[in-house]
Amino acid sequence: MKRNLFQYPFIISFIVALCFCTNSIAQKTDASNYRMRFKFKTIKQKDNSRLLEVSFIGQNKKNRKDKVPVYNAEIEFLNILNEDKKLLGTSKTSKKGIAQLLLPKNQSYLTDENGYINLTAKFKGTNAIDEKVSEIIIKDITLELNLKEIDSVKKGIVKAYTIDRFGVKTPIEEADVIISIKGMLSNMKINEGTIKNGKFEFEFPTDIPGNANGTITVYSTIEYNEDFGNVVQEKSIKWGVFNKKIKDNSNTLWSEVAPLWMYIVLTILLLGVWANYLFTIINLLKIYREGKNLIINPEEQ
Amino acid sequence: MENYKSKKSGTDRRKFLKLGLMSSVTIVAGSSLISNLSTIGDDTKTSGEKVRLLTPDGKMVEVATENINKYPEALITPAESRKGIPDRKFVMVIDLAKCKNARKCVEGCQKGHNLEYHEEFMKIQLLQNTENEEPYWFPKPCFHCDEPPCVTVCPTGATFKRDDGIVLIDNERCIGCKFCMTSCPYSAREFNWGSEPEFNDKTQPYSPETQVPRAEGTVMKCDFCPDLLRQGKLPYCAQSCPMGVIYFGDKNEDIVTNGDETVRFSQLINDRGGYRYLEYLGTKPNVYYLPPVNRQFPLERGLNHDKEILERYRNVPYIDELLNKKN
Amino acid sequence: MDLNNRKKELVKEFSPMLEKFSPALKLWIGVLVVVITIGLYAFVLQVKHGHIITGMRDNVVWGLYIINFIFFVGISYSGAFISGILHFFKTPWKNSVTRIVEIITVLSIIVGPVFILLCIGRLDRLYYLFIYPRIQSPITWDIIAIITDLIGCFIYLYLTFIPDFAILRDNPDLKIPNWRKKLYRFLAINYKDTKAQRARLHKITSIMSKMIIAMAIVAYTVLAWIFSLTLQPGWNSTIFAPDFIVAGLYSGVGVILIAMFIIRKYFKLEKYIIKLHFVLGGAVLLVLSLLFGYFTFSDYFAKWFSHKMGDVGLLQSLFTKYFWQFIFANYIGILIPIIILSIKKLRTIKLITFAAIIAVAGLWLNRYLIVVPTLENPYVPIQDTRPEYIHYTATWIEWSLTFAGIATFLLLFTLIIKFVPIISMSGIIDNERELQNDKLKLTN
Repeated sequence: MKRNLFQYPFIISFIVALCFCTNSIAQKTDASNYRMRFKFKTIKQKDNSRLLEVSFIGQNKKNRKDKVPVYNAEIEFLNILNEDKKLLGTSKTSKKGIAQLLLPKNQSYLTDENGYINLTAKFKGTNAIDEKVSEIIIKDITLELNLKEIDSVKKGIVKAYTIDRFGVKTPIEEADVIISIKGMLSNMKINEGTIKNGKFEFEFPTDIPGNANGTITVYSTIEYNEDFGNVVQEKSIKWGVFNKKIKDNSNTLWSEVAPLWMYIVLTILLLGVWANYLFTIINLLKIYREGKNLIINPEEQ
Repeated sequence: MENYKSKKSGTDRRKFLKLGLMSSVTIVAGSSLISNLSTIGDDTKTSGEKVRLLTPDGKMVEVATENINKYPEALITPAESRKGIPDRKFVMVIDLAKCKNARKCVEGCQKGHNLEYHEEFMKIQLLQNTENEEPYWFPKPCFHCDEPPCVTVCPTGATFKRDDGIVLIDNERCIGCKFCMTSCPYSAREFNWGSEPEFNDKTQPYSPETQVPRAEGTVMKCDFCPDLLRQGKLPYCAQSCPMGVIYFGDKNEDIVTNGDETVRFSQLINDRGGYRYLEYLGTKPNVYYLPPVNRQFPLERGLNHDKEILERYRNVPYIDELLNKKN
Repeated sequence: MDLNNRKKELVKEFSPMLEKFSPALKLWIGVLVVVITIGLYAFVLQVKHGHIITGMRDNVVWGLYIINFIFFVGISYSGAFISGILHFFKTPWKNSVTRIVEIITVLSIIVGPVFILLCIGRLDRLYYLFIYPRIQSPITWDIIAIITDLIGCFIYLYLTFIPDFAILRDNPDLKIPNWRKKLYRFLAINYKDTKAQRARLHKITSIMSKMIIAMAIVAYTVLAWIFSLTLQPGWNSTIFAPDFIVAGLYSGVGVILIAMFIIRKYFKLEKYIIKLHFVLGGAVLLVLSLLFGYFTFSDYFAKWFSHKMGDVGLLQSLFTKYFWQFIFANYIGILIPIIILSIKKLRTIKLITFAAIIAVAGLWLNRYLIVVPTLENPYVPIQDTRPEYIHYTATWIEWSLTFAGIATFLLLFTLIIKFVPIISMSGIIDNERELQNDKLKLTN
């Protein structure tokens, strides 16, 4: 017991100290335990606007499955040409560690002599997290998707070209493209190929249901291309063969309304029985009245 | 283990063939990126839960995620939930070859529906077709039958089938007679036997589409997560499966996805011999199974769970043999 | 009038039954009240904590409550059936049993449905059955059938009571409290036993008796359908409806025989309830046990012979886990009554009653075996379920409510006996009147 008493203040102070310690250590090591993943991508969208997106996520060095987003970090998006730096805008990361910037269709960029744009995303760095810089050097291309019926064959034609400042279109040499259609929960790839000399043609499948109006939304996508980044184009067309499945009404007892015969049978049964109850009660009342008359004129008995 | 090895070498050739088949599937598949790209803005799921975040100055913070329902005005009331999502017909395909009883679907579902550890809308059965075949793991959600016996027998219309094929329960209408539970041949329904504190959680208005909050003395079951579907997301189980076992989609547009690959529903079940469990009962389920051919995992891998979960398989005939194999 | 004196005589004869509450009877009532109070306490607990305190769980969602429900309702329907049939007979011996049968009929249809209410998770929403009805649901049919039957049985019982109420009213020298005399006067609705009144009453009683037979068949069929319209192996059987009817009759006749024995013994009615009654009741029981055995055998035999996947599991569990219950319910519960009742020497009052007890107990177990093992053996084997959710064991809550139900039945029975003579006085009078008329005709 004595020893315990001795130990108490010691242990408590030790625990208190430990608490403070771990707290401060934890604060120091929170970020240092994590390797920062700083990923930058650009997507040219169907309306020719351009989306810049950074994903900033810390990955535990020991446990790779433990990923924590960096929240509220300010990301600068720059357009760089040699020494010129043009700030396109800044954005803060969301709770998922994603910062986005949408550049309009008519955004002007600094381009080098070959038409390449240098896009850079930058996190300035703090005491805890180092500076992060990521750059993408791409050409600004335009993707065109046309859907046509040629000789009663449904065809899709994808065109890709660059436009210089005089409006001259130059077809691109080569790029892989994916054709997909829109689904409710995700999009489904239906074809893929390579754009050669600015063009890719494909035959469109004839048995796609599409949505309720028979409309199919088709996407052509260039993904993570070294020269062009991500480019998306979209078109809708009424090529669907949607037919809502005809319900076979073999047994619809589960529906809200019961079959007619059930109502009829039940009504007949209930009416019969309850009519009889009523008849019985009426007769009881008659007995009651007859009895009453007897009390008034007893001689009748 | 030895047994499994010998089996493995025996199936090498078939596995090789299957790889070929798989790659042909992947051609048609995998454009989830595009869907990711086309959505701007972030959305967080699940309510009452905390997520950890790093701040730029290196601190770890915990913040509450937003409610499931980001837009309270978009709450689907019990009356609205009877209609269903227009022009849809939802269908699930479960690939038994890929299931290893990782139980992530169960956990994801429990989290999403505020269920307790022991309450499962999705159960993982260990079934065996014949005594000559090895058993296989069989995730069993509600089958959302096209001729649902449960709905037929409900005396108050508390459980109902919608135009999009989903069978739901309105726990504000349910009187707890349990007739639906006895008439479901797949034992898909569960009952709230006692009262739990979270039943009184009024922070989130009740909707049959989320089944949250639950109510004592009423029935509950797998609901295909229509609240998520309305947001264009997969149900919790399909989202959380690491193996991509669960495909989900709209039969009308003939597209199903497991989050990684998106394929045509008709092609998937035709090519892979899809079937419905206990088809002869005539309930016409909307959950299809792909037979457990060319298994990707040894069966006993599904037993890497804590004791309490293994206890739930105590009555399964071949479980002892399997447990021995595992150890 | 000779008959009026006879009425007075009868009242005098039965007056001890009506007037006195003996200490033994008071004790008996006290015990019943205690049992009911315990049941009420259990009910309060169940309302407070929910069904979690019963033994019912996700697989076996229906337990003792449903079993008691079908058991009691079965007795009621068979009572209705038998009293309806008895009405057609013009024999003097029927007067000794009709009232017992009628009371059993009404009381068990009151007690039975209480059990189904105990089984409902949300009693506070019971009225949803009427504001959101779904005609397709067998539960809806059952609710309608039970309510209709309950009212019908009440009316029928009342019809048969009216002449006796009139007799009791006309005997003001009975040593009973004033309120009871007033109640008799009120309930007798000025029935003076005139020819016109008698004819009228006879007409409506006779229609009601036929109606009650039909209703018993319809209502009990509907009850059987609650089980047989589901897809569950063991329930989905066409034989269920007729089997339930026969089973109900079987248990009903058994209960009537037991009641006859107790009443005869306690009220010293050896003069009225004679051995012939037991022998005739026994004969009916014999026929029913043969029928019931035949139905049960057909059902299980077909399952065993064709051994479909679902049925195999069920039979397996019946022959292992429920072996003794199965033996008792379907062998002893049927064969013992058959043996006792088919051997003339064994047909004593005591043995016939014993056979009836065996029959009733066996039948209750038979109902248990219909409900619980089936739910324990669904199509999809029960797996991934916490072990305590797999099998059913009734808790004390369910047992005490079961006994409270039986006690309520007995208590009400006791009180009714104290209120109206258990032997129909008017029946005896009617009989004697007819005899007189016959004599008159002969002499003329």
